[in-house]
Amino acid sequence: MSDMGSPTFNVRYDENNQEFSIIGSMRPRQVDEMDGCTRLLTASIALVKGTFYVNVKRLLRLNNLAFHTLATHLVKACEERPELRISIVTSSVVGWSTRKFRALQEANPRIAVEEYDSEFYPGQSFLEEGCFIPILRTQTKMTWRHERDILPRHGMRKGLAIADICCGIGDFAVLVHKEFDPSRLVALDHSQSSLDYARKVAGDFGIQGIEYVYGDAADMLLEDNQFDLVTCRHSLQIFDRPELILRELYRICKPGGRVYVTNEKNSHCLGEPRAESIQWTYTEVARLFAHFGMDVELGPKSRRYLLDAGFDDVRMESFMVTNMDGDPQDFADIIQSWENVYAGQMSVQRGDDETFNARLRQGFQDHIFAATHPKGYAGWPIWVASGRKPQ
Amino acid sequence: MSQADVTRVGRCFAPLLSIDLDIAAFASNWSYCDRLSSYFARMISHDRTDSLLYANLFSSAFNELLETVFRVHGVAGNLACRVSRQADRDRIELTVPCGESEIAFYQDAIAGLAGEDIEDRYRAALFKEGPMEASVGLLELAVDYGADLSIEVMPKAIRLVAELSLEGGRN
Repeated sequence: MSDMGSPTFNVRYDENNQEFSIIGSMRPRQVDEMDGCTRLLTASIALVKGTFYVNVKRLLRLNNLAFHTLATHLVKACEERPELRISIVTSSVVGWSTRKFRALQEANPRIAVEEYDSEFYPGQSFLEEGCFIPILRTQTKMTWRHERDILPRHGMRKGLAIADICCGIGDFAVLVHKEFDPSRLVALDHSQSSLDYARKVAGDFGIQGIEYVYGDAADMLLEDNQFDLVTCRHSLQIFDRPELILRELYRICKPGGRVYVTNEKNSHCLGEPRAESIQWTYTEVARLFAHFGMDVELGPKSRRYLLDAGFDDVRMESFMVTNMDGDPQDFADIIQSWENVYAGQMSVQRGDDETFNARLRQGFQDHIFAATHPKGYAGWPIWVASGRKPQ
Repeated sequence: MSQADVTRVGRCFAPLLSIDLDIAAFASNWSYCDRLSSYFARMISHDRTDSLLYANLFSSAFNELLETVFRVHGVAGNLACRVSRQADRDRIELTVPCGESEIAFYQDAIAGLAGEDIEDRYRAALFKEGPMEASVGLLELAVDYGADLSIEVMPKAIRLVAELSLEGGRN
């Protein structure tokens, strides 16, 4: 790995991936301000066999002089080495970059521009279907009963600058906005359809002041040290590399601010009567998610993740959403939606046989039975953890 | 905004933010282009559909205008930067002190945006060998950002106006 820095941008070359990355803002006045960059670019291209990757996903700003300089070197490299291919990886989040770099594609057919887009986390598509939205709203309604009281123990108070990362349909951000009147509230998600829904809901309810922004939680364009409190709920557990998200949550949090995460341990969902069937199903649900690269057992591991990410003053607690929180039918509806997605889609996609699938479904139905039984009890445990970014 | 402004553009733009500074002070430090464009972008984008995306696009467009002014301006006077808004459309006005040669540059550059081959000329400028043309930023605004650009010649100054609709992103 080779690095070359300037006050506003960094360039690096990763030999293993043949990837040249430019990060930051590149707006030079004169060409010689890019000498370090172009030297590393030339040296990197000389080492490449096959395809040379140019990663500009986090290149936020680029003026025409810098583009001209980069373009000249890349086109020249293609002209001098007929076997060379160049793949430029842009991000739709940046806005200008795909269109700008496509000019290179037109200049030389061996230069391709690929936009790294909404397929950030394809495994999660199960959870982003339109039919799942009402259930997400019900889930937030049920967890909010607990979190409204829990949040102040983790640094929440009125008037903070807050970011809700992986905000989904934005309902938690709306509740935070109403209850805690933040000075700034940014809600970020990688799903445009979820953000569209969030904006519509905010508009319908006349809520102003929530900035819904599109972005990749593992590679955000938000600046460093901006927020007093960063929340990320039920999301580390559905990313295959949660440490990358935590690194970004840490980066955007102000020193002395806190990062708040919630996660489940699905195998600990419980109910009476029919406890054994329920427990079997949720243990299998955890295995099912693991098959798709998601760890829905992450909840109790949150403390370790936060400490490993560099946080101190880690605080942790858990709460149980149950059928006794309001209307039991709400909880039953949530369980039914889990069955529809987990047994109806994910299990089928994994290739499970009918016998297994029927048993998986039975556990959900037994959980519903427990939730709606006049003497029954059904629970869904959630772990809350927060850590302080050192001053 | 004068009645003439309203009539000329056919709609009323509400002022959002303005800064006046001495042109010599502006031209003393290249990083002012980046700082001003980033500051304006952050301040005016918070209530756009996607504030982060909008700020990024606005900063990129505004910076190209400021870099053009940095390279082509008169020796004395005030640079006035004003941003105003009408619904989805933002209007940037830069009043730039200019001598005769600078006025001629801006007049030629804006007149050159009218041709049908503007996209080809922009691409050619981007890949041209040797120093870049000072007008490439204006070409970029017209081609990549769909901006409507115009100028008004004033005594010893020009007013450069760019109107943009950046909601929804440009990619």
